[in-house]
Amino acid sequence: MSDKNKGLNKAREIYLDSSRRAKELKAADKKIIGYPCVYVPVEMLTALDLVPYRTCADMKEPVTEADRALPHSFCPVMRNCLDCALKGKNDFLDGMVAIHSCDPQEKTARIWESYTHYPYFHFIDMPITVRPEALEYFKGQLNDFRKTLEAFTGKKLSADKLEAAIKSHNQQRALVRELYELTKSSPPHVSGTEIVQVVKALTSLPVAEGNNLLTETIGEVKKRAARPEKKSARLLIWSSTLDDTDIMQVFEAKANVVMNESCGGVRAYRGEVKLTADRLEGLADYYLNEITCARTFRQAALGETRKDYGRDLQSRFGYLKGAIKDWKINGVVMLLVRYCDPFAFEIPSLKDYLNSIGVPSTYIEYDYTTGALAPMRTRVEAFIETISQ
Amino acid sequence: MVVQKEKKTINRLKSMYPLRAKVNETYLKSIEAIQAGKPAVWGMLNFYYGDPILKAMDIEVVYPENYGAIAAAMGVARQYLDRADAEGFPTHLCGYSLTTLGYASRMMKELKGQIPPEAPLGGMPKPLFLMSSAAICDARYKWFQALGRYMDVPVWPLEAPIPGIKEFFIEGYYDKMMKLGVKHLRDFVAFVEKMVGKKMDWDRLDKTANLMIEVNRVWHEVNELRKARPCPMHSRDFWSAMPAALFLAGDLEDSLRLYQDMYREVKDRVNNHVGAIPDEKYRMVFAELPPWHSLAFFDKLAERGWNFVIESFGYHPPIPLDLSKVSDPLERITKFSLQFLVGYFEDARKQNVLGGTSAYPYLKYVKEWKCDGALLHPLITCRSASTHLPYVSDMLIEKLNVPSLSIEGDIVDLRLFNPEDALAKAEPFEETMEHYKRMRKQAGFDW
Ligand code: SF4
Ligand code: SF4
Repeated sequence: MSDKNKGLNKAREIYLDSSRRAKELKAADKKIIGYPCVYVPVEMLTALDLVPYRTCADMKEPVTEADRALPHSFCPVMRNCLDCALKGKNDFLDGMVAIHSCDPQEKTARIWESYTHYPYFHFIDMPITVRPEALEYFKGQLNDFRKTLEAFTGKKLSADKLEAAIKSHNQQRALVRELYELTKSSPPHVSGTEIVQVVKALTSLPVAEGNNLLTETIGEVKKRAARPEKKSARLLIWSSTLDDTDIMQVFEAKANVVMNESCGGVRAYRGEVKLTADRLEGLADYYLNEITCARTFRQAALGETRKDYGRDLQSRFGYLKGAIKDWKINGVVMLLVRYCDPFAFEIPSLKDYLNSIGVPSTYIEYDYTTGALAPMRTRVEAFIETISQ
Repeated sequence: MVVQKEKKTINRLKSMYPLRAKVNETYLKSIEAIQAGKPAVWGMLNFYYGDPILKAMDIEVVYPENYGAIAAAMGVARQYLDRADAEGFPTHLCGYSLTTLGYASRMMKELKGQIPPEAPLGGMPKPLFLMSSAAICDARYKWFQALGRYMDVPVWPLEAPIPGIKEFFIEGYYDKMMKLGVKHLRDFVAFVEKMVGKKMDWDRLDKTANLMIEVNRVWHEVNELRKARPCPMHSRDFWSAMPAALFLAGDLEDSLRLYQDMYREVKDRVNNHVGAIPDEKYRMVFAELPPWHSLAFFDKLAERGWNFVIESFGYHPPIPLDLSKVSDPLERITKFSLQFLVGYFEDARKQNVLGGTSAYPYLKYVKEWKCDGALLHPLITCRSASTHLPYVSDMLIEKLNVPSLSIEGDIVDLRLFNPEDALAKAEPFEETMEHYKRMRKQAGFDW
């Protein structure tokens, strides 16, 4: 029998009560810094001995408080996140770092800062292109972030500490990729639902604890006899965020989700931060260039006088091709959170791309409430039936 | 016999008409020029970064965002929206973007590049390239990227930094924004040169930039005069006149002259205590995008004594800044564009109002233009013009004892805005305004 305090069991426990560990650490005099989006360079927090804690939305929590601060037709994930904050669920935080990854993140950050009173609050602006001047600007933003963190902690962010933090977080990325290697087999060694629990746990723990959890989990999964049941379809889910096991189970009732291409899955772990001489440069490059999220503008070659749609699609979605082939994926679900503009504009083009590489896909939209799960189930079943024939 | 004159409601500015006529004439001329083969660019409202560059290069620009409003008002948007839906675009996206995507699909897929015959005002011809913008909303660059499905033209997304109010004051922050802006615009110029096959005339850009700044300065001064009681100029005149300053529509020298005329007329009204409506009972602020198709609604409110004295932060010119010593036109343009956003930051920080670039100005407007109420117009498919409104409403009541009335609408689904419903809410809201007027008095405010 597996140990309750290790590996997958531990991940599930943390998933169900994600702030518990952070609160324990806080009681032991650690400072906890919240962040709502995986674009925040957590390495800089770790290097200053701050504990990064992702302030996730909670789909099961009906939004009540956020109504006074945000309109209804607004990203429901951010509405929910803010709602949790306004209900005091994050009051244990010592600070918060928000980032301009998308418009709702930017807008919510302003309101969050206005309605809460953490000792520290910082907003990082982020350009939309990957042009050299944009990268330079973003590096400057990280440098300002450094200054405010240093002022808050009263400590210097030393090159050595930052290097060590980058290495630890890179190790975490490598371990998550290793975990995903275990979904390549059929049936996979680990389910999409279990990975959602692990990833959420990672974003609630100090990096070293997260790495231990991953090592345990990988060891456990490799050894265990009982694997997830083999289903008729192997899916990749492309979404802004898929961080809730209830949603995942809608898919896993009928299919094996072997790749969760969202910030509740592999998105923040696919690449690696380069150890450049100027450490901030490596961080800026990773967060702006390497994370493949719809918020960043990419096209075949900016400055060309004509655009080639095929190449354009390749530059925007090419990263999916290898996974689709290597993980033998036979269906892609484009799971859209309503009012999420950066992802919504991609849908027809992503469909074009997936058609061009011969993989069937479907688009499902929902509003990040539990009420959306039943209709989602019907859509998922219909899709799986089509691709399994 | 005494002829009973119809009761005047909004007393429109005489100087607005020639200005508006110029804007309309320029638009039609530009469409004619494009149809005769002149290169055209589709642009997003970019808050001055890119427009002077295209203007100096003598490139015609059409703004699909504006065209979306025209298509909606003329009743042709529906077929484009349906088309975008059939193409797989989620229906909750910005209505103007969906209109454009449907239009592009009809023009490029069905009509092989010909302008759709049903398109109003000459339609939008296929562009040479697309100039999008990172300012204000995600739709602005993602929408133009999505147009790549229909058109083999490149997109230039103009970067537009959006700092936090507190962060903006970190040492060296402004310089870094400038560095990004200037380098970005320099590369944009090189891109445009390549696209049109000719070199930038830097003297012309210099002059264009100066005129743009001066036009906007005068336009700002016109709006400052509206602090007078009674307010001499109604929001309807603001909205009619603004394209010449915001989109640089028309010849800038003409525009400058016309805004100066407007300044004189408004000043004259101030001196003679002439209001924009006959009996100013309530001074109002409007946020954000107006219901373009139902502007007559404001006449009905004017009959009740509602004078709209200030409005739409997103359309207002930047707070003037002396840029005469900045020799590089690209630097001047960048500073001017940044000023639109950060011009209010010092005040916002002092008052610890951190709720965002679009929120603070309303505090200033209400305080300085001495408003009794705010009419808020949240829109279903334009989130960027709506997100800050609950915050604005909260802030105004809390800090200034000024209440807000919120009336929902949309940019393309015009049925959502119901003027009758809205008017029915006017009377009870007047009681609310009266109540808060008393509260303000008690609290020692001077209006
Ligand atoms: S990326 Fe989409 S889901 Fe995520 S915060 Fe932004 S709008 Fe919301
Ligand atoms: S969402 Fe609003 S601001 Fe953005 S492009 Fe559409 S109409 Fe314009």
